[in-house]
Amino acid sequence: MTQNNKYSIEVHHLTKHYKGLSAVDNISFTVEKGEVFALLGPNGAGKTTTVEILNTIRTPTSGKVMLLGMDVTEKKYDIIPRIGVLPQGFSSFDRITVKETLQYYSRLFCCRKPDIDGLMALVNLKDKAAVQYKNLSGGLKQRLGIAVALVNDPEIVFLDEPTTGLDPLARRAMWEVLLDLKKKGKTLFLTTHYMEEAELLADTVAIVKKGKITAMDSPGELIENNAHHLVVMLKSVDETVFDIVEKMGFAPDYDSHGHITVRLTHTDDVRRLLNAVRDGGASFTGLDVRKPNLEEVFLKLTDDTFLKSVAGIEEAP
Amino acid sequence: MNLRIIHANIIRANIIVSIKSFYREKTVVFFRIAFPVILILVFGTIFMERDNEIFELSIQDLDRSMSSEQLVAALDQSERFNITPVSPDADAKQYARDNHLNLIVIIPENFEMSLMKKMAADPFETPVTLTKVYDPGAFGVTTKIGVLDMALAKINQEMSGKPPLIVSEPVSILKKKYRFIEFFVPGIIAMAVMTASLFGSVNVNAELLQKGVIRKLSTTPITRIDWILSNVLYQFILAVVSTAVMLLVSYAVFKVSLEINAWLVVFVALDVFAFVGLGMILTRVAREAESASAAADALMFPMMFLSGTFFPVEMMPEFLQTFARILPLYYVNEGLRAAMIAVDHTAALKSALIIGAFAAVVFVLGIMTTRIGGETP
Ligand SMILES: Nc1ncnc2c1ncn2[C@@H]1O[C@H](COP(=O)(O)OP(=O)(O)OP(=O)(O)O)[C@@H](O)[C@H]1O
Ligand SMILES: [Mg+2]
Repeated sequence: MTQNNKYSIEVHHLTKHYKGLSAVDNISFTVEKGEVFALLGPNGAGKTTTVEILNTIRTPTSGKVMLLGMDVTEKKYDIIPRIGVLPQGFSSFDRITVKETLQYYSRLFCCRKPDIDGLMALVNLKDKAAVQYKNLSGGLKQRLGIAVALVNDPEIVFLDEPTTGLDPLARRAMWEVLLDLKKKGKTLFLTTHYMEEAELLADTVAIVKKGKITAMDSPGELIENNAHHLVVMLKSVDETVFDIVEKMGFAPDYDSHGHITVRLTHTDDVRRLLNAVRDGGASFTGLDVRKPNLEEVFLKLTDDTFLKSVAGIEEAP
Repeated sequence: MNLRIIHANIIRANIIVSIKSFYREKTVVFFRIAFPVILILVFGTIFMERDNEIFELSIQDLDRSMSSEQLVAALDQSERFNITPVSPDADAKQYARDNHLNLIVIIPENFEMSLMKKMAADPFETPVTLTKVYDPGAFGVTTKIGVLDMALAKINQEMSGKPPLIVSEPVSILKKKYRFIEFFVPGIIAMAVMTASLFGSVNVNAELLQKGVIRKLSTTPITRIDWILSNVLYQFILAVVSTAVMLLVSYAVFKVSLEINAWLVVFVALDVFAFVGLGMILTRVAREAESASAAADALMFPMMFLSGTFFPVEMMPEFLQTFARILPLYYVNEGLRAAMIAVDHTAALKSALIIGAFAAVVFVLGIMTTRIGGETP
């Protein structure tokens, strides 16, 4: 037991270099016991690299990572029995059934009497017990992966993109499982591309971009702090509307439905914009003014052009 | 690094999963168990006939005398021929062509008379001539003629009543005479165990690596030595089953006389150790699954043909014989044959030490290169 008992995970100035590339670039954070921590970032941001260093299966170039008070580079075989891992793109033995797979992995962890039925119930796979891995759908495979990660009743569970590639229904089913784990008080460390997932599950979200953490806070705070603007949407068949808005100095855009969207900073601008459209003799059939959604905050935080324009988000040099 | 730790529970769990995966994949079972048996049956049947072949022989008796009948009876008694008479009216050449016969022996008219004259000790009388109508292009006809001439020589000698001046007696370097099939079966055992161990470990490991199962396993307490030992033990179990089936078939079908002793187990085990280890190294060295298989092919084929699996190494030119001596499979072949045919413990021990040293080196390299518990790619 150390004085850092409060933390399940402590990461100090972690860096991982591959030839000419900083996959992880000097990141630091801590995760408390029972906390759900999400690493949110686009492809290639360095999420998997970070998780696998935490899982003791990659070695850091520099920095210090402590799991349950133990250094990951020194105590691999002491740490491993106390963590559970769902790797990115989990896969298992094709011709081994759900139940046998769970029995197999629990045997790897030795002597504890595993509650295989309980695990299958937890991930809702009881009626698939005798189905071979290769015959499971993607969502079920992923759920089996979670059950496998839990065979040793771990204190920390790592989930690398648990819902990538799943359809909306399967994703929701997965969230149910993860919320269940959260209720049970497990420390969860998950990575995801989806802000909504992070918001639903996580206590803390760290947004990573090119190996760096660009923002870290609770999901609510992140939105609060990065959503000062408004989004105005105009439904119109009139092409002059776009030109009028552009001439006012705003940056209009078409969304996937062909509606015009504009990002505005002040409520005053909304009135000015609507007046200008009316004065220009153009018409619109629908109007929507709203706060940005999580997707837009995420895009903003991971998009270079925005990063440059928003002060205080870029890390101090 | 935790190389020294071996977990019996983990190795057991791995073997259970491997064996279940194995028997649920029927084509793999076929290739593993049935294929070597088929090889033994096919080659065994071909070469079995070589050893004790009974030849088809057509005889046209133009003399139809007592003597000519006695000659036919004498040839029949040699037990090397299955004799079919050809009608004296037929044209022998045409008959041979029409009936796809590669040899017809013609006993001429006046055979009995000429024979009588010759027997009446008229040294100037020309010998009695039998005509052999044969197809020089036919496979095996030379052997048949050779056997026929030998049988005739024996008949000649018996009829003249003179004992032969020179005889030869074969003395084998082995305690007993062995047949080709007894040479062949140990070779097939060594080869089947080698290919299965090499390809089994390359294919399984490359697939698990590619699918990311190895990465998942790296986050469990399994160690490299657990993993490689699991692979070796699993392949050893299959090798024992497959060897037992091969031997049972060989005993039942060919009544081989091969010795079964502890050496058999030793060589099968060393064969597995060496080639599973080699397979583990190949999986690591080759980046992709296909190149690992290709590398395994490249190692296996020369070994199969040059290390004395199908024919004795002594049949090859000198430089290939030298080359054979650096192939690990050569020593498995030599050792197994020393143990099973000649029961020569010293020779078996010598081979066991050489292949054992090779297996040890490969095994250690295999442990060092296994990805489990190491840095993921
Ligand atoms: N073994 C490796 N050798 C070289 N470069 C690597 C290696 N592993 C990862 N990288 C690089 O490091 C960067 C981060 O990769 P990583 O897999 O951690 O990203 P990620 O955030 O998990 O992405 P994704 O969302 O696609 O899973 C990428 O540019 C990747 O190409
Ligand atoms: Mg990843």
